[in-house]
Amino acid sequence: MFEEASEVFDNMFKSSFPLTFIVFIPAVLILVSPLPAEAAHEFTVYRMQQYDLQGQPYGTRNAILNTEARTVEAEVLSRRCVIMRLVDFSYERYQKALRQSAGAVVIILPKNMSTMPQDIVQQFMELEPEMLATETIVPVYFALEDDELLSIYTQTLTSSSSQGSSSAAEVLIHTATANGFQMVTSGAQSKAVSDWSITSLEGRLAGTGGEDLPTIVLVAHYDSFGVAPWLSYGADSNGSGVSMLLELARLFSRLYTYKRTHAGYNLLFFVSGGGKFNYQGTKRWLEDNLDHTDSSLLQDNVAFVLCLDTLGNGDSLHLHVSKPPKEGTPQYALLKELETVVSSQYPEVKFSMVHKKINLADDTLAWEHERFGIRRLPAFTLSHLNSHREAQRSSIMDVRPHVDLRKLSRNTKLIAEALARVIYNLTEKGAPGDLQIFTEQMVQEEQLSSVVDWLTAQPRAAQLVDKDSSVVSTLEYHLGRYLKDVRRHYVKADKRDPEFVFYDQLKQTMNAYRVKPAIFDLLLAVCIAAYLGVIYLAIQHFGVLYSLVRRITAPKTKQH
Amino acid sequence: MTLFHFGNCFALAYFPYFITYKCSGLSEYNAFWRCVQAGATYLFVQLCKMLFLATFFPTWEGGAGVYDFVGEFMKATVDLADLLGLHLVMSRNAGKGEYKIMVAAMGWATAELVMSRCIPLWVGARGIEFDWKYIQMSFDSNISLVHYIAMAAVVWMFTRYDLPKSFRLPVTVLLGLCVYKAFLMECLDCTAKAILTFYCFNTFM
Repeated sequence: MFEEASEVFDNMFKSSFPLTFIVFIPAVLILVSPLPAEAAHEFTVYRMQQYDLQGQPYGTRNAILNTEARTVEAEVLSRRCVIMRLVDFSYERYQKALRQSAGAVVIILPKNMSTMPQDIVQQFMELEPEMLATETIVPVYFALEDDELLSIYTQTLTSSSSQGSSSAAEVLIHTATANGFQMVTSGAQSKAVSDWSITSLEGRLAGTGGEDLPTIVLVAHYDSFGVAPWLSYGADSNGSGVSMLLELARLFSRLYTYKRTHAGYNLLFFVSGGGKFNYQGTKRWLEDNLDHTDSSLLQDNVAFVLCLDTLGNGDSLHLHVSKPPKEGTPQYALLKELETVVSSQYPEVKFSMVHKKINLADDTLAWEHERFGIRRLPAFTLSHLNSHREAQRSSIMDVRPHVDLRKLSRNTKLIAEALARVIYNLTEKGAPGDLQIFTEQMVQEEQLSSVVDWLTAQPRAAQLVDKDSSVVSTLEYHLGRYLKDVRRHYVKADKRDPEFVFYDQLKQTMNAYRVKPAIFDLLLAVCIAAYLGVIYLAIQHFGVLYSLVRRITAPKTKQH
Repeated sequence: MTLFHFGNCFALAYFPYFITYKCSGLSEYNAFWRCVQAGATYLFVQLCKMLFLATFFPTWEGGAGVYDFVGEFMKATVDLADLLGLHLVMSRNAGKGEYKIMVAAMGWATAELVMSRCIPLWVGARGIEFDWKYIQMSFDSNISLVHYIAMAAVVWMFTRYDLPKSFRLPVTVLLGLCVYKAFLMECLDCTAKAILTFYCFNTFM
């Protein structure tokens, strides 16, 4: 047959040249065509953080993976993608996967975090900084659970846990029936993002009564942090701080519109970016205002700087300072007013001052006020957290339910009262401690609630908010409604010695393909070879079969 | 090993044809070119059928559950063109009866294999994802080969003038079955479903 076939092809070649093209070009095209993507299941995965801070790398370095899936119970984990559910997650298992040089780790998170028991959430929150602390080349991804992913997980679990202990026959049957999964990400290797600018916003309310008025600065950073940038919603830290800042801006701008309540203090509001990366926004803003400008509100008379950080929950308030304020200074006045307001109007709140010296030898600064303290501006941070090392400041578990709206609005009222008492000098004028300047309706809970809802509706990691982002422009618009001179401020990393470097490929699409093990193909080949052998024998001895069939049907015809 | 899987499916589909060609003695008669001609006739007939169906049978808009018996019956009737095509191929080939049948059936079935199965196999079986349907498709092609041989044999018998009278009816019935095979399967399927739902309904009421 091959001779005849070659004859035909010869004729084809000799007769017409275009005909050969018509036959061959499609064949060549089909041969080199890329494989189509037909996935068993396609889902979005979010990569763990990857960044360099002051030259120190953190997080995972790799983004691509194309490996078989296994769960932790399997014996061999190297060059496999280890899938874990949040309920089964523990640091030892994670370390085990990394030690055996796994190909990747995928952690499946439940769609609704609030269904998780508190101790698991707490445990994961504490593990997040540890996971980020060491640099690892294994790509770590987080995926939100759905039914298909769960079924993939259970199938992988059964096949992984049955690997070690079974006889050869069982293994053989297993290969024919089981489903393996190949996890593949579409997307390139991660590389550093160049020219990323972090945006910060400032606005002011000018005081009345001449030049050289003292300035009060209110600061809150709007970005969030977590083990995965796309999953860090930062509700309490620092969505609560930003919403409180906006509410204070609204309240004081209302007061400042009337001549009678227009006070003799300049109020400067600063919404800073890059707060979770060692307060980059604040640092550059201070440099620009103090070193590179001739006159700025920050250079003259600064009464104090109040940073708002994580105030959406809890029944305690801590005023973090780097130097205890001396008597007679405006900072001391604020401290006293806070104590007065708490003791007379909010006795359920426990207020205290926490003194922590600035430690320049640390990798990162503790609170935002330390940036101001380094430049010799009197500053403190108000927070319901006792220590800057608390896990909930930088966790993906910090979602909207973490903010208790009543406590947030209570804290807002508290701070507004204390500030008003300082600005209007009420204690000196003899106002009693329980005088309520802002009545119940003035602090609008709906406003606070809607701002917090909007802020937690999208991830606000510093790597995701660029200067065109809707978060920045909405904040700018919002500030512009109450404040004057709303300006943007950009921070770009220095070219030669960058303080921060961000990497891309933080969100990927992962495909899980159903695959059969290699043994299966060989088994199938053997079966097909046997089948073809039977067919060949049947056709060769077709005569035998035919006479057999005739003999069976013959008795009927013999009767005629 | 996905190319290996493609190789498996291709072997399962193609080797029986090869074996049949070799062992049925067609190679001794230099029948390769004639088989290719039969294949070309298959292509032509399929093209005509497609044009006919597209022109005269507009898309039927109706409920998803109801099966359009009349419409599907008419569409199945177009498959008579297959029989005509086979008859055409066989009449153009001079020779013994078995030779004609085998040439027509081999060419027809090989053309169908190449046209309707090669590309899905190449595109699908080579991918990372595994699916049983490719093995199923390849096995299907084996069954198609036997089916076309039988169909060609029945068509040849129908056109013989010296066919015994008693055989006329069974041959006609078999021809009818060949053409309306898919339609009858659908009918059976629908009626079975209807009976089953009716039965369940009655049991639970």
